[in-house]
Amino acid sequence: MKITLNGKKIKCEEEQTILQVAKKQGIKIPTLCYSERFHPKSVCRVCLVEVNGKMMPSCSTKVKERMVIDTESQRVLKARKINTELLISEHKEHLTQTKKHELCVLAKDVGVRQTRFSTIGKIHNPNEGIGIARDDNKCILCGKCIQACEMQNVNAIDFAYRSYHTKITPAFEGRIDDSVCIHCGQCILACPVNAIYEKDSIKDVEKALKNKHVFVQTAPAVRASLGEEFGLEPGTLVTGKMVSALRKLGFKEVFDTQFGADLTIMEEATELVERVKKNKNLPMITSCCPAWIKYIEHFYPELLNHVSTCKSPHEMFGAVLKNYYIENSRIKKKNAVVVSIMPCTAKKFEAQRKELNKDVDYVLTTRELARMIKNHRINFNNLKEDNFDAPLGISSGAATLFGATGGVTEAALRTAYELETGKDLEILEFNQIRGLKNVKEGNIMINGHDLTFVVVNGLHYAKELLEQIKKGECKYDFIEVMSCPGGCIGGGGQPIPTTKEIIKKRMQALYVNDENKIIRRSYENPAIKLLYKEYLGRPLSEKAEELLHTKYTKRGI
Amino acid sequence: MKILRKTRFNGLRKAMQMSPEEIKEKIKKSELKGRGGSNFPTGEKIEMTMSREGVKKYIICNADEGEPGTFKDRFILKKNPLNVIEGMLIAARAINSEEGYIYLRGQYSYLKPNIEKAIQAAKKAMKKINITFNFHIIIGGGAYVCGDETAIIESIEGKRGNPRIKPPFPSRKGLFAMPTLVDNVETLANLPLIFTDKNWNDNWRLFCISGDVRKPGVYELPLGIPLKKAIQMARPKNKIKAIYFGCYGGCIPYDENLILDCEPIRKKGAMLASSLILVDETRNILDISAIISKFFEFESCGQCTPCREGNIRVLELLQKISLGKAKRKDLKLLEELCGVIGDTSLCGLGQSSVNHIMKEFKYFKNEFQEKLK
Repeated sequence: MKITLNGKKIKCEEEQTILQVAKKQGIKIPTLCYSERFHPKSVCRVCLVEVNGKMMPSCSTKVKERMVIDTESQRVLKARKINTELLISEHKEHLTQTKKHELCVLAKDVGVRQTRFSTIGKIHNPNEGIGIARDDNKCILCGKCIQACEMQNVNAIDFAYRSYHTKITPAFEGRIDDSVCIHCGQCILACPVNAIYEKDSIKDVEKALKNKHVFVQTAPAVRASLGEEFGLEPGTLVTGKMVSALRKLGFKEVFDTQFGADLTIMEEATELVERVKKNKNLPMITSCCPAWIKYIEHFYPELLNHVSTCKSPHEMFGAVLKNYYIENSRIKKKNAVVVSIMPCTAKKFEAQRKELNKDVDYVLTTRELARMIKNHRINFNNLKEDNFDAPLGISSGAATLFGATGGVTEAALRTAYELETGKDLEILEFNQIRGLKNVKEGNIMINGHDLTFVVVNGLHYAKELLEQIKKGECKYDFIEVMSCPGGCIGGGGQPIPTTKEIIKKRMQALYVNDENKIIRRSYENPAIKLLYKEYLGRPLSEKAEELLHTKYTKRGI
Repeated sequence: MKILRKTRFNGLRKAMQMSPEEIKEKIKKSELKGRGGSNFPTGEKIEMTMSREGVKKYIICNADEGEPGTFKDRFILKKNPLNVIEGMLIAARAINSEEGYIYLRGQYSYLKPNIEKAIQAAKKAMKKINITFNFHIIIGGGAYVCGDETAIIESIEGKRGNPRIKPPFPSRKGLFAMPTLVDNVETLANLPLIFTDKNWNDNWRLFCISGDVRKPGVYELPLGIPLKKAIQMARPKNKIKAIYFGCYGGCIPYDENLILDCEPIRKKGAMLASSLILVDETRNILDISAIISKFFEFESCGQCTPCREGNIRVLELLQKISLGKAKRKDLKLLEELCGVIGDTSLCGLGQSSVNHIMKEFKYFKNEFQEKLK
């Protein structure tokens, strides 16, 4: 197909938008409400170009034969400038802020240094939930958060009112906590102006650090992404530096959530084997993702018996620490505080659940940890590498995989195979469930039983499976669901930006980390072995049920 | 009035003896144009909707008449709803549809029993002719933007009435992603007449004349008569200064020699629809301008930047000018802003929300300049 772009005749492929064609030609068109992940809405009106003498949004207009496109005519430049000025007029802080929000960048790109329009100044009360909070005073109404929420099939927020009074809010302008919001935080990653953010727990943690004995545990996904906040390449593993930074911040003992993950695998794999034997409550669905748990509690409470009763790794860790580890030390229980560093905002909600008895006191996201490190003026990149403390810092390679989609399944199968057959798996990598495909399935023969499993990458794709289970048509034995695309490495608490390319790099880092570990199966972890020997007995024992398993609430819509 | 002649399903009976292709050709030949304001040939619209075969299709009767100064659809639905229903059935026959929606403006909900009665009568007639068609009446929430054909579809689907990006046009992908024919009440009411009246032609239109007149109301006038004649019928109070064609059609200064037809008025820069709001010399154009801008500021759906953020600033600048606080640069800014709003808004509402100001600048700029500091 031939088109004319800025006076130059070029060839291009069909079914492409003007924006894509221009990008290939090295022509930059500024955008704001556009995101590769979502269907373009074309509401910000800054990516406009002149097409055959008409103004058209380049993000949603597809090229056609003999189109004449001008991306830099006077008319286009003027329109972009005025529209940016209009957006900026309510948010003048973006003209001076040093933080690089998309709106600041846009203003610079189109050459807006001031606005000629008045500020009318809407005043909204911030809507703070347990996991995430939104400040509508910053909102520029691009609607990306709504699209992110739609993508998760949650639809907790939408536009309300109209004209100048338009705002984005949960139904009936309710609180986030009263809505069906699952706190996954995908809207945070989508927001171009930081109007949605995690509920800040830094203050509470700093206070605890002053006068309590604070334990800290870090999730697998954090070590693969924290470096990005300090200018390192995505996919750089910063485990050692992170541990020393945590020590510098004043955490007394630095442990690894991967220990909890190994423990989860022991319990979950055993549970799976039991359920398969009894052919009861199959398929079994994973329970590590707190956003997913809240989703099913809201939308499919009738299927809760399919969900594994295992607590999530960091909650198991908290329970073990507060009951087993403290008993053997001189620390008083009331002085012990457990902080989890998570890539996730939903974990903040999870930590507040009554049935989990506050075994984890505070949750910090990757971004919050980075903020804390920066606040303390610690030069992260120059830190020495350090190791986790024993015994709750020892973990297997399988546990590392928890950070990526498909990882829980892979880790569980490595152990389930051994539990059933008494033999070790020869090839540990399950390549069919790795990668960023939306739904990945596979099967493995264990003792003559053909165990089928499926991995759901992103909540959007869970609905179909759940409907299948409801109808009794589901053919799988084991289902893994991670709410965020890519798994925890693409979580709502991760550094911004989190794009598909960045997620891929983080994922690769975790796979490499697994390969380099000596222990690669959860049941080989010596600390886990000791824990069962000394304290829990065996998986699914009475003690284990009490500490490591939980129950769910029917929430409804 | 021609439009009020009752056809008693004779039009439908005639249409039933024809093939869909023939019906379409007849409508095309009649040169019936959409009366919702866009003047789009109805026959072509039907043809476009026919082109996708083998899928479910819908018909929507657009009775969300929200344009200020327009009340002809209310008039028709009150006096002759049967013809509208019959028109829907004829169009349904052409595009092979079995389900239709009447989207009634929220403020017209008192007309619902009237329409329901007409539907009951139609069902009896349908039984005799042996066709089936499902009618639904949807009462709108009262938003002006829902008069837009894609916003109507969103609203019927149960969503917020925001306009969609076109293409795809409703004729390919409309209600529930199926081909959909959206037509105005007056257009549909004309369909049976095409089939029963040999002398029918597209020239007779309904005009709603209001403003500074003693006899405001609905007038049926043929296109091509002198504008003066039309205006005299409504008996203006004083000397007329300007004519506003609804809120979105823009305005022109009154000229005795003007002809009431689309082309001459388009040449002057305005759009002839059905609404003529007459403004006489006792009024200030700035005040009228502010009233219209207030309307658009209130009715903007809030989706796209220029319409949402722009219209409130337009209103603000207009108020500043009329208070005598504005400087020359404010006027320039207003002009620039209006240009961008009209050029870049997502839907018809936003694009036409500044039509009136552009035309006021063209014809009555002195009234703005007088007020400058």
